[in-house]
Amino acid sequence: MASSALKEQQRDLENKANDLSKLQKDIAKNHQVRKKYTIQLGENELVLKELDLLQEDANVYKLIGPVLVKQDLAEANANVRKRIEYISAELKRLDAALQDLEEKQTSKKDAIYKLQQRIQSLQAGKAKA
Amino acid sequence: MAKAEKKGTVTSLASLFPPDEARKASQRVLDTLVEHERELHQLNQFVSDNNNVIDLVQRLPEQLHHDIMVPFGKAAFFPGRIIHTNEFKVLLGENYYVDRTSKQTTEILKRRGNTLQSQVDSIKAVMQDLKAEASFFDATASEAAEGLVEIREDYIEEASSETVSHADMKTADEDEEYARLFSRMDELEKEELEAENGDECESEDGDVKDLGNQVSLDNRVKNLEVLFNFLEQDLSYQLNERSTSFMCSHEASKVQPASKVLPRTSGPHNTHTAMSKPSISDKEQRIQLQTTPTNEAFTGSIVEHTHNTDSNLRGQSNSSKKTVSRFKMQRMQH
Repeated sequence: MASSALKEQQRDLENKANDLSKLQKDIAKNHQVRKKYTIQLGENELVLKELDLLQEDANVYKLIGPVLVKQDLAEANANVRKRIEYISAELKRLDAALQDLEEKQTSKKDAIYKLQQRIQSLQAGKAKA
Repeated sequence: MAKAEKKGTVTSLASLFPPDEARKASQRVLDTLVEHERELHQLNQFVSDNNNVIDLVQRLPEQLHHDIMVPFGKAAFFPGRIIHTNEFKVLLGENYYVDRTSKQTTEILKRRGNTLQSQVDSIKAVMQDLKAEASFFDATASEAAEGLVEIREDYIEEASSETVSHADMKTADEDEEYARLFSRMDELEKEELEAENGDECESEDGDVKDLGNQVSLDNRVKNLEVLFNFLEQDLSYQLNERSTSFMCSHEASKVQPASKVLPRTSGPHNTHTAMSKPSISDKEQRIQLQTTPTNEAFTGSIVEHTHNTDSNLRGQSNSSKKTVSRFKMQRMQH
């Protein structure tokens, strides 16, 4: 009876550990994506700064696949701005997701810790018996 | 490891921070440090690349055309020449290109160099932090390995014995402070007394003179102003002597300024004595009239008045004319 309960709890613990590792993977992924976006944001900001410094009549091209496509400066500017906005929004979203994940992680850790303790006490009880 | 002592516990540092754990931590920090070093190296490479490009871009328009080998595909080159040496297509990032002249390109590249430099700086700062952290972990590890112990004493146990010593220390501190205060007071009093003595002598002289010498009214007013602080003190002091109840109301307003006024009055007083001679005599006469019955005030006999015991502050204001020992006596009474 006690041993079956113990087994069940151990299975439970295993499941939770798996969940936790999944969460940690998610967090790592989130970090990676965020890093990428941060770099892109920096790059876009640099581009915007340079575009702002250009004269009205400067030729701006965008590399699309193998070809350079001529673009209007104003258009390019608007595009970059939009891109920055998008990236910022994405970053914010990622931040929120990360926070959520971290909360989940701590709660999972707590649960696992408690389970471990219970299993230990069960084992101790078994050893005595 | 923890040994129960009479007061508190002794814990070896090794049990709190196992040496190999601390070492592991320091190792981890060192790893990140190495990573940052690599990043820094890369950044430095970027910086030098950037500088090279700036150089090249500045040199290119020096001639109308350059003979070069043009890369073609992966492994082939064919001879060619660069014409339009002052026209560049600059990649701004995000696949945006822009037509620029050599000069404009240089500017863009320089701006890029600045951003790179700031990145280098920030990474260097981070590395410094990491180094400090690593050395801290190392120190902890070695301390733990050496068998350093942490001694912890229970607060509750301390409370009974410690409070007493604390209080002692406090009073000791206070005593010291008082002593310092007194010595300062002493100095000021001496000055005051000297000034006063001078005044009194002079005023008595002036008394005689004043009978003959009539001084103009506004001169007197001016002098009165100068004397005001001093006289007020005198009055309050004498009133103290007279009646406790009256003094209380008067003192209430006087007490605090009195101590502040003291150092100030001694200055102007000294300087003005000569000029205010006649009017002093005038005022002083009146005061003297008042004081004559309680003239002992100046001799220092007032010490034992009833009101003296009730507050230190009052004592201070009184003492402006008294010898130091009185303070100490009061302190002792307290």
